[in-house]
Amino acid sequence: MRLVAVTDVVPAYTTLAVYFDSRVVSFAAISSLVANAIGVPEVDTDDSQTLIEIPVSYDGPDLADVATRTGLTPEEVIQRHCSRTYRAYMTGFAPGFTYLGDLDESLVLPRRTEPRVRVPAGSVAIAGAQTAVYPLVTPGGWHLIGATSVAMFDSRRNPPALIRAGDSVRFVRVEK
Amino acid sequence: MSDVITVITSPPFATIQDLGRTGFRDSGVPVSGLADRESGLMLNAILGNDANAAMIEWAVGGGSLRFDCATTIAVGGADAIISVNGAAVYPWAPIVVADGDELRIERIVRGRFVLIQVRGGIDVPVVLGSRSTLLSAGIGGLEGRRLRTGDRLPVGDYVMATRNGIKPAHHLNVDGPVMVVRGPQASLFDDAAWATFLSSEFVVSRASDRSGYRLDGMTISHSGPAALPSEPACVGAIQIPDGGTPIVIMPDGPTVGGYPKIAVIRTSCMSRFAQLTPGDRVRFAVD
Repeated sequence: MRLVAVTDVVPAYTTLAVYFDSRVVSFAAISSLVANAIGVPEVDTDDSQTLIEIPVSYDGPDLADVATRTGLTPEEVIQRHCSRTYRAYMTGFAPGFTYLGDLDESLVLPRRTEPRVRVPAGSVAIAGAQTAVYPLVTPGGWHLIGATSVAMFDSRRNPPALIRAGDSVRFVRVEK
Repeated sequence: MSDVITVITSPPFATIQDLGRTGFRDSGVPVSGLADRESGLMLNAILGNDANAAMIEWAVGGGSLRFDCATTIAVGGADAIISVNGAAVYPWAPIVVADGDELRIERIVRGRFVLIQVRGGIDVPVVLGSRSTLLSAGIGGLEGRRLRTGDRLPVGDYVMATRNGIKPAHHLNVDGPVMVVRGPQASLFDDAAWATFLSSEFVVSRASDRSGYRLDGMTISHSGPAALPSEPACVGAIQIPDGGTPIVIMPDGPTVGGYPKIAVIRTSCMSRFAQLTPGDRVRFAVD
């Protein structure tokens, strides 16, 4: 169903947000539509998920530090990061920034105590049980273990984010 | 000869009105003037007219007017089906018309009074300080009466407006608390936290930009975890991070967030809130 009054529908970990124009349709009307829709999910019969492969050069400034803190070698960190297929949970924080999980348990670390003021675009990072690619230059507190040249966000694309909630993602190791 | 509008087909009820006539109530003279003043102010602002420029207040049915001059007009007030020379035109915008063009009000869809204004306003004589028609006394407007088919209405010379009467509801014009609704995590905040939130005066921090406004003042605590699974947020959401200093999400702010949201600023108060500058004070109230 498409409603002109609904401007955005945004999935997240445990929530779904429906943004609507209250000048066009009332909160009560939208609420009852949503309540009815929850009971009857529209099943997508095409169960082949989009698999996105992202080439990564594992030479991030925090790779050695991550290895030290996890008790692994840098090579083991790389292997464990690129040997899984991740699920895309949610896009947000910055345009095209998509939270992916779950990491191999041995790679789970708290965020950096001193966030960087400027993380380069394309940085591949980990924090907690999650991994992500920084699409744009932003501040950030995750550990940078690599970089990709693939554009995660492109305003000329539709949708502009490369990875969207529900997609599957693999990181493919490449030499720089 | 000055510009003229000719009434081709009059509706059953149309008069000339401006903002009204004050100062003569002690003589029993009612104020008269536009019934829907807000719409009249909008139309005059759209055309660059003085706030008090007189216009046609049109009611009850359809009809048409011919502009015997090249000018710019605007239509507003009640929702109506309107056209110029048979082509649909829109309300609340300047409409450029050529000499001989015909404006037709097909019918009124919703509301009572359609307002039709022209650049320069309708230049009928001023009576007791106003051009408004008062039918009971037979004064003002066009000969103190309703418009009739065949009437010719003089259009005033355009004079740049010195006032337009439009005041958006931002902080320059409005006092009082910014209205909020309870946020998705409102229940994580106990009565004491809510009391603090609603009784405090906050100061807009220097660390405020198009992404978010930080509010200095009392800090607010909650009983939930420091961060929740991130979820979609919206402009106007008031987040309470660890330190307890509220941050309001602004238009360039993140689409998702993990901090508990105690409340969300009502859309109707958002423009006013956005106009606050660092150092400005603000209070919140739930309605």
